[in-house]
Amino acid sequence: MVTCTGCALLCEDIDAVVENNRIKETRNACRRGAAKFRGCKNRLTPSVNKKQTDVDASIKKAAELLKTAKSPMLFGWSNSTCEAQAKGIQAAKKLNAIIDDTSSFCQGILIEKVLRKKFRTCSLEDIRNQADVLVYWGSDAQDSEPRHLSRFSYFPRGEARQRGYEEDRTAIAIDVRESNTAKICKGHFYRIPLKGDRELILALTDALSGKVPAYDTKRILELANILKKAEFGVIFAGIGLTYSIKDELDILVALTDRLSNFHILPMVGHYNMRGFNENLFKETGFVNRVRFDGKAVHDNKYAIVEALRQKAIDALLVVGSDPLSSLPRSVLPHLAAIPVICIDPCVTLTSKIATVTIPAAVSGVESGGSAVRMDGRVIELSKVVENNYLSDAEILARMMEGA
Amino acid sequence: MGIDVGKFLKAPEYDIRITTYRDIFQIEALEQDRFGEEYKKLSAAVMMGKSDMDKMGFKAGDRARLTNNNGSIVVEVRATRREEPGGIVFMMNSPWSNSLVSDDTRGNGIPEFKNISCRISLTKEDITPLEKLIAF
Repeated sequence: MVTCTGCALLCEDIDAVVENNRIKETRNACRRGAAKFRGCKNRLTPSVNKKQTDVDASIKKAAELLKTAKSPMLFGWSNSTCEAQAKGIQAAKKLNAIIDDTSSFCQGILIEKVLRKKFRTCSLEDIRNQADVLVYWGSDAQDSEPRHLSRFSYFPRGEARQRGYEEDRTAIAIDVRESNTAKICKGHFYRIPLKGDRELILALTDALSGKVPAYDTKRILELANILKKAEFGVIFAGIGLTYSIKDELDILVALTDRLSNFHILPMVGHYNMRGFNENLFKETGFVNRVRFDGKAVHDNKYAIVEALRQKAIDALLVVGSDPLSSLPRSVLPHLAAIPVICIDPCVTLTSKIATVTIPAAVSGVESGGSAVRMDGRVIELSKVVENNYLSDAEILARMMEGA
Repeated sequence: MGIDVGKFLKAPEYDIRITTYRDIFQIEALEQDRFGEEYKKLSAAVMMGKSDMDKMGFKAGDRARLTNNNGSIVVEVRATRREEPGGIVFMMNSPWSNSLVSDDTRGNGIPEFKNISCRISLTKEDITPLEKLIAF
């Protein structure tokens, strides 16, 4: 059995059938995971200034660019092993660079609250064994973490939930869209208007305090009643919820303070985003957006979106990420105007404009290591097939020898 | 021979808000080939409820131009399976939707990826190619 790096569930029960050092088939994997094992159509090749070269030359050039830059940023990391992330943090220290990851515009603000112990959270095993009320809030697990419901949350028969979803568990979806997860929740789908999360949280808080909620009274009281009766409740906080209340996450914490049996679990897509947050937090006390300058300084201006918008960086190392695909297009002209070094197994939009490209092994398939599951458990990654690609960690180690 | 006056008239524009989401088939296409036709087919599309389509005169398979101060793209119109609240349309998160996302985060570093205001109008132009989105 091997571990899947398709998402942050890091499923460890994948049966990969290998023939002639190639993965012929995967069993147990979801569509997302199977795609990860199949790999991409276009593998990245080493290049400098868009001319083909060898890996050594591209690593050497990358080191040169980072060393001569005045304000470099090292970005990506959510699709890298913990070992590569540790190398990246050390590199940022050595270079006096900014380091940020995709959690900067994703779940970082919520994971930071987990690490600072601002609310109760729990493990996926706790959920499988104990949870009776499951709230998928702004989260379509069926599409983003596709085995969440079947392995951990809704369908399994856990220790205290022997009658499974048929009798022992209630699944609730709160969303602006009837997602595939919402369809499973059937009678417990609470559709809210765009940016309506705040109003719902406050209405629920009122209902739980014995006040009459300001709107949709009957439905809100019905939902509050289900939450109140939970023996072990979990709010699966998706990116839809986090984006909607990003400036006032404390209202969510205040809601769960009124629900003594409730936990919050941030839903994470990229397989090791939480790993980066934990590793940087251990080193600096911050989960992202850090500049090293003798000491670690955290500021929102070190978020990749802000740094690009302010044209505050003059070189960018991208590891296992595709900012050209995932960032607002309006910040991209600056990215395209500075030297970009792209480390990735595959050709990406970012690699197309990069000054230097360095092909890497696919972690969890062509290289091993470790990663942190969405609930904080460390999981070992397997090397399933042998080839000559260097891992992210090896590339970074060699790059820093020359920097 | 008469003059086709219609071709000189600008298609009416409507104000809408886009919310974005992830889809497992699109994620699979992204993993396999982000430059491929399947990824483009799934990403360069706007999903609309029937009442909005009727009101705005769109049919499934039409092409729509989505425009705001941040960018302008042409995508295919698709119908959602169920009725939706008026004025809200859906797109899978991708470089197409990101073309319309503002970089003004009020300093917090998190753009409004899921709440994009723009104008929509019918067009006969081709769907915006990915290459155009990464040309600077």
